[in-house]
Amino acid sequence: MDPLLLLTTFSTRFLGIFIEAVSFLLIGSLLSGLIEVFITKEDIIRVMPRNRILATLTGSFLGFVFPVCECGVVPVTRRLYQKGMPISVGITFLLAAPVMNPIVFASTYAAFGWGPVLIGRYVITFIIAMTVGILFSFQDRPQRLINPAAVLAISGGSDQAVPLKQARMALIPGLRRALILAGEDFFEMGRFLVIGTFLASLLQTFIPQEALRGLATNPVNSVLVMAGLAFLLSVCSTVDAFLALSFARTFTTGSVLTFLTFGPMVDIKSASMYLGIFRRKTVFYLIVLPLLISALFGIWLNLNVAF
Amino acid sequence: MRTRQWIQAVLSLCMGLYLLDTLLSGRIAFYINIERFVWLSWVAAFILIAMGAAQVYELIRRSANATQGRVRPAPTPLGAPLIDSLAYDATSGTSHDHAGHGQVVGGRGPSWLVLAAIAIPLVMGLAIPAKPLSAGAIQTSGVSAGFSASKTDVLSIAAADRNVLDWIRAFNTSTNYSEFNGQQADVIGFVYRDIRMDQGKQFMVARFAVACCVADASAIGVLVQTADAAKWPQDTWVRVKGKFDAQTIGDQKSPVLVAESVEAIAEPKQPYLYP
Repeated sequence: MDPLLLLTTFSTRFLGIFIEAVSFLLIGSLLSGLIEVFITKEDIIRVMPRNRILATLTGSFLGFVFPVCECGVVPVTRRLYQKGMPISVGITFLLAAPVMNPIVFASTYAAFGWGPVLIGRYVITFIIAMTVGILFSFQDRPQRLINPAAVLAISGGSDQAVPLKQARMALIPGLRRALILAGEDFFEMGRFLVIGTFLASLLQTFIPQEALRGLATNPVNSVLVMAGLAFLLSVCSTVDAFLALSFARTFTTGSVLTFLTFGPMVDIKSASMYLGIFRRKTVFYLIVLPLLISALFGIWLNLNVAF
Repeated sequence: MRTRQWIQAVLSLCMGLYLLDTLLSGRIAFYINIERFVWLSWVAAFILIAMGAAQVYELIRRSANATQGRVRPAPTPLGAPLIDSLAYDATSGTSHDHAGHGQVVGGRGPSWLVLAAIAIPLVMGLAIPAKPLSAGAIQTSGVSAGFSASKTDVLSIAAADRNVLDWIRAFNTSTNYSEFNGQQADVIGFVYRDIRMDQGKQFMVARFAVACCVADASAIGVLVQTADAAKWPQDTWVRVKGKFDAQTIGDQKSPVLVAESVEAIAEPKQPYLYP
């Protein structure tokens, strides 16, 4: 095929995904900037219930109140731990918030409409987050989970350190700062969007669907491939629905769901950030447990449900 | 460091302006389902420009402070910066300084690699001629036939008013294509051929159906029969008028549009159909 035609087709596919996705990424970045500036830590602590199950439940829905991308969720969780949030609740928040928030809901809905993918994404994510969170809550010495260097040293060596109360900023300077923070977030996260979109467009432009058909339609292999892809591509959860959409035409629905549930929880980028809070062994479980559960769901769905 | 932050600001502004240009020129129709999502792109353009402007404002303000001899912000009490360094992002290396109001993020700016990555879409948008998906794109995606009837009853649309998507949906409502025989059709689309067609007498008049953005673009088409089919090069936009006739192609019965007239038209501003 004419190389110029290939190039323009590739460019159109790339820009199509990018333009759609970048809107969501920008809204997400702006929101995270606004939260940083206008919500104090005290607000967050006031919301936490005492009961273990309720607290874990709260942790999983907290993302709707504080919508953060999977990238933004790590510093927020660290901050919450500093305020005495139970470790298990933090883990639930960490795993759930990247998906259980209004922006991801909107982008998933935009890409897939009201259907099994949207609903499946939320149900499976909720189950994984609650399961892993509750499992960790049985650890009666939670400090073994945390990487001490990450948390204690920051509070001046004592876990009793009381942070200064952060007064709220005035509106205009606050908005300016929110925009600056949003810009930083956008650039940091945007590069993963560009890389992911680039790869997805390459796939769509140069690889005929027929070639992938064997792998993509196999109920087990497709799930494994999509899980691997989700780990490698590290795309922000606010926009991964659009990448998944480009795969959805060839790959099984179960594997697309695995991509959409495992990806926001674990990928190269977030795994390295987790090491900043948790010990290696904890991070290992944080990777393996969601992988197992999301893959099992994907495979089970492929084998038992006709979409 | 400062250079990188300036470049970040400029990139932000340029990307916002590029989006604005794409929106105002109508080329946005090549990329997304504009009926549903064009407002999102306006929001995006606005945010990008606002981000760039805020960054520029801050950079100018800081260099103004610097020239007055106040290079560093005043140190804050002991507890605050230690705790606020919680926001330190391990991967990016930028630190968010939340110790006081009016103090801006004191980061070093994004790395060159990050700037380059963000520049890529801008470069592609500006350097590569913008074109909607065409017949060439079908080679990897194939033509799809599976469009179910939508919420509105597609058969209630007058035959001559139906576009390619409407026709495909109509065909999906019936098991016997002969019921469409004799119905008048007036459709536009681009010419597409594949080897299964009789090159001398057939081509497909095709469109792309886009639900969200080109990520889900599916090619759909109606088979056209005309005596001078060979004279129409692939990718030409044409308007075909004629009547349907169910014919046996290979081992299947398919609805074929027997053309009464085929004329070349200009590529429409909105090349995609929205299911």
